[in-house]
Amino acid sequence: MPLAKHLPVVEPQTASKTNTIEQSRYACSLGALTSVLAIPRATPISHCGPGCASKQYGALAGINGYQGGDFYVPSTNIGEHEVVFGGVERLDELIDATLKIMDSDLFVVVTGCVPDLVGDDVQSVLRKYVSRGAPLVLAETGGFRGNNFTGHEVITKAIIDQFVGPYSGPRDKRLVNVWSLLPYQNTFWRGDLGEIKRLLEGIGLTVNILFGAQSKGAPEWKTISKAEFNLVLSPWLGLQTAQHLEAKYGQRYLHVPVIPIGANQTSAFLRQVASFGGLEVGSVESFIAAEEEVYYGYLRDFGTFYSGFTSQYQLPSTAVVVSESAYNLAVTKFLASQLGILPCRHIITENPPEQYRESIRAEYRNLTPTVSTEVDFEEDGYRILQKVRQADISDQVPIVFGSTWEGELAKQLGASLVEIGHPATDEVVLSRTNVGYRGALSFLEKTFTTVVRASTIS
Amino acid sequence: MGINLKTSVVEHRERRLGTIIRWDGSAAQLAQDSAFTFGTGTDCGRRGKRLCEASTPFSQASMCAECITVTNATLVQGAVVIQHSPIGCASSQAFTCRYFRDLSVQRGWEVEDPHSLCSNLTENDMVFGGISKLEQTVRDAWNRYHPKVIFIATSCSTGVIGDDVDGLASQLQKELGTQVITLPCEGFRAKHWSTGWDVIEHGILRNLVNKAPERRQDDLVNVIHLGGPDVFSPLLGQLGLRVNLVMGGNTLESLAQLTEASCTITMCSVLSYLAAGLEREYGVPEIKCTLPYGLNSTDEWLREIARVTHREDLVEDVIRKERAKVAPKLERLRKVLNGKRGFVAAGGAFAHGLIANLHELGVQIDGAYSFHHDPSYDSNDPRQDLLAHVVNTYGDIPNYTVAADQQFQGYTALRRVRPDFVISRHGGNMALLTTRLGIPTLPIFYSNDGIGYEGLLTIGAGILRILARKPFLDDIAAHSTFPYRSWWLHQNDPFAFPAPSTGTELRNEVPVASR
Repeated sequence: MPLAKHLPVVEPQTASKTNTIEQSRYACSLGALTSVLAIPRATPISHCGPGCASKQYGALAGINGYQGGDFYVPSTNIGEHEVVFGGVERLDELIDATLKIMDSDLFVVVTGCVPDLVGDDVQSVLRKYVSRGAPLVLAETGGFRGNNFTGHEVITKAIIDQFVGPYSGPRDKRLVNVWSLLPYQNTFWRGDLGEIKRLLEGIGLTVNILFGAQSKGAPEWKTISKAEFNLVLSPWLGLQTAQHLEAKYGQRYLHVPVIPIGANQTSAFLRQVASFGGLEVGSVESFIAAEEEVYYGYLRDFGTFYSGFTSQYQLPSTAVVVSESAYNLAVTKFLASQLGILPCRHIITENPPEQYRESIRAEYRNLTPTVSTEVDFEEDGYRILQKVRQADISDQVPIVFGSTWEGELAKQLGASLVEIGHPATDEVVLSRTNVGYRGALSFLEKTFTTVVRASTIS
Repeated sequence: MGINLKTSVVEHRERRLGTIIRWDGSAAQLAQDSAFTFGTGTDCGRRGKRLCEASTPFSQASMCAECITVTNATLVQGAVVIQHSPIGCASSQAFTCRYFRDLSVQRGWEVEDPHSLCSNLTENDMVFGGISKLEQTVRDAWNRYHPKVIFIATSCSTGVIGDDVDGLASQLQKELGTQVITLPCEGFRAKHWSTGWDVIEHGILRNLVNKAPERRQDDLVNVIHLGGPDVFSPLLGQLGLRVNLVMGGNTLESLAQLTEASCTITMCSVLSYLAAGLEREYGVPEIKCTLPYGLNSTDEWLREIARVTHREDLVEDVIRKERAKVAPKLERLRKVLNGKRGFVAAGGAFAHGLIANLHELGVQIDGAYSFHHDPSYDSNDPRQDLLAHVVNTYGDIPNYTVAADQQFQGYTALRRVRPDFVISRHGGNMALLTTRLGIPTLPIFYSNDGIGYEGLLTIGAGILRILARKPFLDDIAAHSTFPYRSWWLHQNDPFAFPAPSTGTELRNEVPVASR
């Protein structure tokens, strides 16, 4: 068998931006059904073609750190009959059956392209079950409506409006709702949300983390309306939800665009939250002090390695970061402010809504008082590769933080690749976190193990 | 009807072959009913009756034809695949890439990323049509890679809005001077994903084979397989035959010369469309006999290939040598596995092959689970009825479930027979179940693992490796629950679901094969 060469890449004359996406880095709106899976004892009911739900789940929970999950999703598995005659009867039959067989606290009906196109009156199907008291909500998530980021907020809003419902009672002064990383899309969401919850509880808050094993599921969602405030911990995702909650329940919200990695960022973040929430300063400071003592113990000894003791390795000096905005910004900030690994090329891949882009750009222009860079927004892998290739890395040792798709790029740059986002086919992720105090340490371990291994085995 | 190369649309297997996706009973009954209804099966006794598809109001997320079509189009070297769809359909690209890279290692190809592009349709396109975006993406594919072939796979949404993909493809084919091939694979059109194989095979047959072969390569044998390493050349090479391995990973050259081969062998009858088409349209005979799962079947299979290719004088030596080679290790495996209770979960004929493997290894099979059942094949030849062959050779399987990867039924089917281990393909959902039930599971990603004499050793050794995980799985099972209500958790019948209280009419009639 001859070595078969696949295809030559034609160097672009004019690679202008088009609708085309090569190397997908997110799912469609329906993919946000994984956000329902992320709520303990909640079940999505998918009204879509036979392969839609599985494909989105496989992409987000499978070839993305091999996260896995309890995927038992009821689905109408629409066929030709439903396209021609409508799928309302089939959905009715499925909901009836689902309520009989599945033991769940909350059901979220999510729709795919077909029912949204043929105009199924899904709401009318739900009505009779809801009037009987079934915990059932509807989110229209046809794949053409957007991606799993925007779909996530559609689902979140649906649960708030149709399940949590109106509330005008007293607030719990210490209770905060957290809107942060997108479950499943972010390869490390489980560990990260756990660390974020631990930190906020450490300074005296009660935390509705809402997704993951550390959420109490539907009963916790029911208390969203009682929270004193909302914390949006991401560049843009969750802002719409927080604004909706502000209008609905009169709750204030705090927007922190940079997810903290490392002690500097994390301590500042906790002080900011404490101040916003009116927490008692003494206990906040003592928590921070205890955390920093542990953190810096480890960091000092890492510092010896980083400065070259017993090390013949070429340690990275400049970073290419290709990922969705939350991790892109958080990692870039940590690298620049804590490690002195300077920005090279930074490409945000999840197509954030236009209205948020200027504020994201501003964050990159102010990474530290002396370090700034320009960030790009690009979803098409082909163009991402072209853009990074144009970067000047002379006299630098580059490192790439990205997805599996950046494997070829890293090879071309002669750099190590650390997978930090979907799709991540070369990482097995269980509880690992990259944020806060503890996550920063495991992030350093992963990064420098990768670098050292690249020099020792090649 | 059946094979019609005038149109890009393949006739779906539920119409062509009478494929069903819901059934429960004994394997013998299924074989009898299939033969009775379609008249193409082997005689399994005279108790056959009309094959009726079962029904259930509950169903879970499954898989669609688009996924199979696109995956296998992506594995064609030198081609670029366009998914004309919203981005969600393309979220499998990373999986396909992983598969392609891994396959490249198995096949000794250069390891690199395949190229798949998505036209990325959004809400406006649903209103105004997506054809201009598709045109742009075809042009991008051409400008970026100058491929010899551009596949365009359709999707549910483009099927509903009615984009004229065929029209655009032929226009751009002329303009660009490269082949632009439509693969109509809307997920809603077929009730089972295996139709995706038919779609890509139809596309190959219509567009990529050499339509006017000037010569016949007498020593060339087409082998159509689901995917994986070449386990065929070591065997067939001894007969002086060269293997033209196609489907799960091909070069364009191998597809072109399909029509020049002396015969075609299909390793899984689920893929029977291409072989039948090569015979009917191009006169390349299809080998019609049982598949090489197990010692005797492999003997018979080799003899039939030798007969068709006129190599009878060589074959008995090969059989003797190959049998002798595996005998000692097989003996040891049979001793260890004898009396173990296995369960097979795979699709159609591939499940039947694995069942034969397990029987040959001395494993007892009380239950099996097939993702679909094809009661007839494209050849209409009863010698390819592997289910009847398995039943007649090794005996009945009392609990045989047909379900399109439905976990709630998989749970019941497994609970009913409580096997010592499971061997499965399309393993995701099955692995979720078996892990939480504490059952060691051997996943089969590369379907050639069980083929031929060596295949028995590969499967046997694989089972031994996973049986060792029992303590880990017991531990998981002790800490797991399923999200079903208690009445279902205690069910033994996968189709025990009561009729819907809404009185909705069920559409459960068996499609009539159109021939």
